[in-house]
Amino acid sequence: MTTFVWINLAHCRMKHSRSLVWSLAACTSIVIARLVFSATADASDPWWKAGEPRIMPARADYLDASGRVTVVHERGSFQTKGHPFFSPIGSNGRACITCHQPSDAMGLSVDTIRRRWEATSGKDPLFAPIDGSNCPSLPQADRASHSLLLDRGLIRVYLPWPPRRAGAAALQPEFTIEVINDPTGCNNDPVYGLHSAVPTISVFRRPRPVANLKYLLELPHGVPPADFLFYNDKTLLPINPETGGFATLQLMSDGRDLTPKLQARDAAATHLEARQALSSEQLQQIEDFEKSIYAAQGFDNTGLALTGEGAPPGLGPEALENGAPARLGNNPINRIFGSFAMWQKAAVAEDATAQQHQQGLFRESVARGADIFYLRRFLISDVGKYNDKGLGNPFKRSCGSGCHNTLLMGMDLAPGYMDLGLNNLPWATPRPDLPLFKVVCDPSAPAQSYLGRVIYTHDPGRALITGKCIDVGASMTQQSRGLAARAPYFMNGSAANLRELVDFYDRRFNIGYNESEKQDLVNFLSVL
Amino acid sequence: MRRTFEFSRVAAGIWALTAFASQAAEPPVAAVAFIACPIARDTGPDTDLCFIAEKDGTRYALVNPPDWGVPQLKHRVLVEGRVLAGSFCGAIMIEGRASVLPEIDESCNVVLPFDGTVKGSAGGVFNSGSPQQRAYAQDLARRASLDPSLSVQPAILDPPPLQPPQPPFEARTLTITYPFNSDRGPGPDMIKLKELAAYASAAHAKRLEVVGYRATSRLANGDELVETPSMAEARARKIAGIVHALGISDDAIRTRWESDAVAGKGDLDWQNRKVEVTVTP
Repeated sequence: MTTFVWINLAHCRMKHSRSLVWSLAACTSIVIARLVFSATADASDPWWKAGEPRIMPARADYLDASGRVTVVHERGSFQTKGHPFFSPIGSNGRACITCHQPSDAMGLSVDTIRRRWEATSGKDPLFAPIDGSNCPSLPQADRASHSLLLDRGLIRVYLPWPPRRAGAAALQPEFTIEVINDPTGCNNDPVYGLHSAVPTISVFRRPRPVANLKYLLELPHGVPPADFLFYNDKTLLPINPETGGFATLQLMSDGRDLTPKLQARDAAATHLEARQALSSEQLQQIEDFEKSIYAAQGFDNTGLALTGEGAPPGLGPEALENGAPARLGNNPINRIFGSFAMWQKAAVAEDATAQQHQQGLFRESVARGADIFYLRRFLISDVGKYNDKGLGNPFKRSCGSGCHNTLLMGMDLAPGYMDLGLNNLPWATPRPDLPLFKVVCDPSAPAQSYLGRVIYTHDPGRALITGKCIDVGASMTQQSRGLAARAPYFMNGSAANLRELVDFYDRRFNIGYNESEKQDLVNFLSVL
Repeated sequence: MRRTFEFSRVAAGIWALTAFASQAAEPPVAAVAFIACPIARDTGPDTDLCFIAEKDGTRYALVNPPDWGVPQLKHRVLVEGRVLAGSFCGAIMIEGRASVLPEIDESCNVVLPFDGTVKGSAGGVFNSGSPQQRAYAQDLARRASLDPSLSVQPAILDPPPLQPPQPPFEARTLTITYPFNSDRGPGPDMIKLKELAAYASAAHAKRLEVVGYRATSRLANGDELVETPSMAEARARKIAGIVHALGISDDAIRTRWESDAVAGKGDLDWQNRKVEVTVTP
């Protein structure tokens, strides 16, 4: 505990340097708040209801699939009443907190969604017709009308076609798009569909966790010229309208909103159905809160404590809070998430209990998983906007040295979108529950490097924003923290659990992991 | 992204080697210009792939400068260069360029398995970056081996900020060469472009001129490959947009392009696919 306090005082000194007196007072209050309000949340009902007058703790643990996720608010605890992140500021009763639950690492797990459905008979604002159902025109009392949310944790994202951002003219897309299969009915719907009066495309995506944002918002270090150019094609990064500098694009899977404020404004208008724009003060409150939240797994049911003396230094949310953002981690020192050497050979006493033996075996498995993640190379091939961005096809790398190279976070550091094969055929996991589109690119446009000019996709991804053929199916990699608390995985929820996630990669890249290696990887990912 | 950084270092080393060999071997034995499927070669479990192409029974190594674009299976390559002494990737070295052609060719899909005959390489934090960066990484590695908590500290220092350009200011030109039918400038040239923009700002340059070119490549069999008509303009406009975003006023930027493709001779034709950026104080 002494160490914990010291670390936070040191951290405070850096952040509040205007005056020593103010600094000491502010930081002392934060530390006290942390000590008082650190807690393991009530396991019986972790759901945080919009508008519920609760205290956001400075540090809290929440039960998850394999242990407990820990969420830290670095500014200390506070009463959330009236705070716009927690308040139903729209017309449908939702708040930001509805889809960004602390118990789910500030994301939203399908287990939580199902519990909410059962507890409220589907009446919770989470299931609002606008995007909490497969289509607003469906009978909302039927479970089937919310199947994508209940089965895969997917929110309907509806975007104008042709692409058009607020206040801007529509882009001239490089491709035509046709609805081939429409299991939700929404893309052919006369009111909400592609051929409606307001042509709209509906795709279905997982909410991303609102945590550890400093790693997403800082331009990359150590990979010039990716601090001002897209790595892929060496076009300019967009300008952050709030700072006048370049924007990172790590915030959203399709990059449609560049900053927390822009995302909040967009989310309020769409997900929350707010009829009035958020005030600048509200936007600032939301941004300040989001930038102060860190989430990571803190405890494993078998491996037990993941932080503290003798634990790998990259685990737990404090490592993220104190870490340096936007740095390359794929080197023999950092190993992305820091060293796991201390768990490679678990010291288990002869008279150890069965639980201690299991703990030791689990920790050894995690350490092996880290090695596989970092060192086991395989041929990465035919990934649009990746292999064709100068790297070569195929490109031989490991998970860590390939796409998940950001220190402590595990997303791709250089801002670039890629088509891993999550959305586009033939690589996508069969998904008869999702819409299927046929994209035909104009002959004058650069084609997708490995799929050409006719592409079948469940989600055109970035191309719904840019209108570019080469962007069809492409998305931004996402962070790898707090995974155990927020299944299912991938932007379309196609991996129900971490094993299915590992299986996808194994199949996609013909890696050939054996059963033991797969379990080691699952264990490793579960403690991040 | 780091992956490229590492590979770039390796490629840079190989590139330097070919440049050295080029100087040592005079005159060049022969020019080559042909289109073929690239072939990937696995060099071992812990090392990078390398690429070759075969023409008339002879295998040539395909090595480009860092971030210029590594060959891709599913696409043919335009190989242009001068034959050098020595070998790489089990094939004859050439000094030149290998351009990935944009159209898909599913027949280009051969990966030679690792057979131990070719020594591979892999980049790393200890042999990349500036001497200060390498020394820091070495020292951190030593300290982290004793104290694992240091393993989450960044291993790569930010390079020191560039010193502001100082007078006297003179005219400077940067030439950027491109793969065939591509407007993607390689990373190292983009870094130089940023430095040139800083130079132009410091010099309060009256003019920064961007001139785009497209070119024809003459192949050994007599065929000619001509870049698309819009390519010179696309290259020029893209570079002009970047320097503007880097702080050069539109008033100072002059952008133009040569509509006609530069004729090919079958030797060094890749050097004509370029943009020239000239700063006039």
